[in-house]
Amino acid sequence: MRLGRNTKEILIKNMFLGVAALSILIILFIFIFLFKEAFPAFREMGLSLFTSDWSASQGKFGINAAVFGSVAVTGIAMLIAVPLGIGGAIFLSEISPPRLRVFLKPVIELLAGIPSIVYGFIGVTVFVPYLAKTFDMLSGYSLLTGGIILGIMALPTIVSISDDALKAVPREIKEASLALGASKWETIKLVTFPSAISGVTAGCIMGIGRAIGETMAVMLVVGSVMRIPSPSFDVFETGSTITALIAGQMGEAWGMHTSVLFATAVILFLIVALLSVASDLLQARVEKKFRGG
Amino acid sequence: MKPKDALSCWIIFLGSAMALIGFGSAAGSFYIGDALLRLLFVLLGISLLLLLPTSFRLAKQKRSFCWMVAFAAISFALAYLVPSAPPKVGLRDYSIDASLMKFMISSLALVITGPVAASAGFGPLFNFTKHAHQASAYCFLTIAILLILYPLGLIISEISVNGLPGITWEFLTQDVSKHGAEGGIFPALVGTILLIGLTALIALPLGIGCAIYLQEYAKRGRLVRVIRTAVNILQGTPSIVHGLFGLAVFVPLFGISLLSGALIMGFLTLPIVIRTSEEAIRSIPQEIREGSYALGATQWQTIRKVVLPPALPGVITGVVLGLGRAAGETAPIMFTAVYFMGARVPGSLLDPIQALPYHLLELTRYWGAYPVEQNAWATAFLLLAIVLGINAGGIILRERYRQEF
Repeated sequence: MRLGRNTKEILIKNMFLGVAALSILIILFIFIFLFKEAFPAFREMGLSLFTSDWSASQGKFGINAAVFGSVAVTGIAMLIAVPLGIGGAIFLSEISPPRLRVFLKPVIELLAGIPSIVYGFIGVTVFVPYLAKTFDMLSGYSLLTGGIILGIMALPTIVSISDDALKAVPREIKEASLALGASKWETIKLVTFPSAISGVTAGCIMGIGRAIGETMAVMLVVGSVMRIPSPSFDVFETGSTITALIAGQMGEAWGMHTSVLFATAVILFLIVALLSVASDLLQARVEKKFRGG
Repeated sequence: MKPKDALSCWIIFLGSAMALIGFGSAAGSFYIGDALLRLLFVLLGISLLLLLPTSFRLAKQKRSFCWMVAFAAISFALAYLVPSAPPKVGLRDYSIDASLMKFMISSLALVITGPVAASAGFGPLFNFTKHAHQASAYCFLTIAILLILYPLGLIISEISVNGLPGITWEFLTQDVSKHGAEGGIFPALVGTILLIGLTALIALPLGIGCAIYLQEYAKRGRLVRVIRTAVNILQGTPSIVHGLFGLAVFVPLFGISLLSGALIMGFLTLPIVIRTSEEAIRSIPQEIREGSYALGATQWQTIRKVVLPPALPGVITGVVLGLGRAAGETAPIMFTAVYFMGARVPGSLLDPIQALPYHLLELTRYWGAYPVEQNAWATAFLLLAIVLGINAGGIILRERYRQEF
């Protein structure tokens, strides 16, 4: 049978539609299957998941310590990465000589690709002994160590995206500001940066998402102890994060324990998905702003 | 050079030196001593005082002058306060030793005061015009980029220096033995290569298909928006979540195997392939398509014969960048595809494999317990070289491709 030209075209179009819809399906499948595995935990434990008491052998599964650790580690990372990253992006996009930029931009992108296990390895072999010595800590494994490593890791992402946002500001706006007699720095401070602020924020949110979801680098250096340090600001203590909890315990978990770990993964997935959508909306706003819809 | 300019330059120099000393003492965890610390702050305060009369005359906005008075006062205050601060302050009761607080306080004071003082020196140097702000801002931004590149450079040089000597022919071609302390990493190397090869086979058709649909068939509309959001969420999904997904779905079907790992890695790299392919297809000028339609070609013929061939290098770039990520990921495969001990070169798709990142994870866990140092550094170096090599290839391809259009 020979298909008509139009029938064939429609078939092909629908085939591509199917392939394109696959990414929606994957996201749905991830959520459904994680939730299916996590369901017993949600049903049995309910809100008692959110307590601070974790002891897998006694069947106590309160994940607060991991959530606290994730927030603390991400917070420290952002304290390091956001100011430095934005500064670096402004340097790269506005004041570096073009020749240096042509070299630096790909280098920073390249550095964004360093695998997280390499950061974890360097964390254990270099940072942990160094911090143990500098702060005279017992072991050097701490929330602080995790935060510092994550901060370094998040830098290239934040620089790269913020740089794109700053570059997207149309030249006419900057030139108008310069023509009015503003200095280059005044233009950056009062015109370029404010115009790019939503893109820069999107970059920072993506950095936060990457930091929260990071597993290998953090797991190896935070100590993986399910306990909220007391007092809670004592970041020199060991702790754990959601990702470290999952990766560290999934291997030997069974029954309810496994289900609880899946439940934490559901929570992690929801947090990161929300951050992705937020950063997406911000970036859409940037495009609307400069491309006139 | 006027005396005022010389003095300003001196303040800038002194401030930068203080910041450097602060960093140095933090990095080396030593205290520079009461006398030296006092001397630095007093010097800074006196220099600022000496500049005050000229500054008062020059500054059009008295605000900048007030700042200089404040800075001078602050440095005298610090000269008095910091060395006499009791050594046991603050976190003593917690997990950090109090006797170390002194160097921490002093280096913090130096690192903060130094740059601020230096920026104060720019005011008189540029006669308090707007260029003063510009100069000091530029200095800070330059320092920011250096601070970004420093740790990253340190990581790479540390790994190269320690890892390169361990890369020998035996290391690359022998089996793992004694918890990785002896022997080589041959199975891990082969496993990683097989894994990324199979990942490419999965991600390439799916990624290109999705990109073609988004760019050629439907450019806007609700469905397209939903697809784009899904791709973005997929890109942000933590790799450990991918790993658990694989554990829940693929491991029951295919066991802990090369196939399970490659499927997960395919999903992981899909968003990167889609994004880069979209960019490549978008860059093909509309006129070329219209020319093809004008000759009577259908949409599919146009895509296949006119749009795809010139877009192909861009698409391949996307796949290369995606594979760069897949080669380095550990979390997605740690429950779905790998064994540390006992895994050999796989005989079929359903055999478990060994992979470089997971091998490095195990060696890091054994760090200190077994003599794995040399092999661990060498593995880290090899992994870093492979991943950065793939990424560099992708970036170079892309830059070249972008220049063409």
